[in-house]
Amino acid sequence: MKRAAIALAALTLLLSGCQGGVRPLNGLNQQLNKLGNGASPALAGDWLALITTRPGGRVQVQLIDVQRGLPVPVIGLNRVDSLPISVAVDQQGERLALVRQRGDRSELLMYRRSMQASQPISIEPAGVPRRVSLSANGRVLAVEVSRGGLWQVDLLELP
Amino acid sequence: MGAVVAGLLHGCSLTPLRRQSAPPARIGAESLQQPSLSGDGRLLATLVERAGRTTVQLQERRSGKVLPLQHLRRGQPHSSPSLSWNGRYLAVLIQQGARRQIVIEDRATGRLQPLFLPARQEPQQLSLSADGQRLAVEVIRGGSQRIAMFNLSGLLEPDRAPGLLERGAGAMP
Repeated sequence: MKRAAIALAALTLLLSGCQGGVRPLNGLNQQLNKLGNGASPALAGDWLALITTRPGGRVQVQLIDVQRGLPVPVIGLNRVDSLPISVAVDQQGERLALVRQRGDRSELLMYRRSMQASQPISIEPAGVPRRVSLSANGRVLAVEVSRGGLWQVDLLELP
Repeated sequence: MGAVVAGLLHGCSLTPLRRQSAPPARIGAESLQQPSLSGDGRLLATLVERAGRTTVQLQERRSGKVLPLQHLRRGQPHSSPSLSWNGRYLAVLIQQGARRQIVIEDRATGRLQPLFLPARQEPQQLSLSADGQRLAVEVIRGGSQRIAMFNLSGLLEPDRAPGLLERGAGAMP
């Protein structure tokens, strides 16, 4: 009986050791839960960009200050006539790359938070963008593009 | 590097976008999905189809050179790769039986670190912070899609930009 208890304790220790270091950020996770359903997370520096769906059905891009656990405004980024599909952010929380659906078109754009403005980015040759990745230093953008029945990755350098 | 100035399409700033013109501007003739750049933009992880199996691939962005991954030849289909600043860490979802498992390959030590989520959370998508100290996971929990954040500072050494770097992962085998 004593041996069984020791074995159980050892197993518990072993399993908790496997979990070791993977600690949920409970305070932040509670804040994220309040935003509704969440998808497409992108972390860089102290910033988390994600796409949330409110219980009412509104889908929008949110930018979270991870240290404070609070959303910051992304004025002009979300539009009622478009549906965000994929988002990425740089470590300054300044540039956000976004793929969104507007009508029957998917479009890629770069948003500058300090300017509260978006710049569309053309897909050349023509293709349908789906996912984006922005390097944390904000200098390179990788875009997953459907082109001629094939998924490809386009790369763009940003100054 | 002979990059083509694609030009500004809408006048919110005078920021030109430069398409990487030298190969692999559009990397590979095979199907590539779910790109993820390292924090410094030097490395690119993608998913490729190999013998009908979706497998993570790591490349140098400029040259297209494929870099070896020690542990990620099994557990397909892989999904949602995510890299740290220098590419020391590559987080990815692998398949283990009926479940998806988060693993992180440490290219500096050659170790593969599995991460275990709290019960009843099924991981769907990952994003590793550039320094490797936090992980954002899109999970299915109780039928809802949520983002859960985890602190990895007790598990992984930081992988920071040069100057802040304690232990690099630059040109590793």
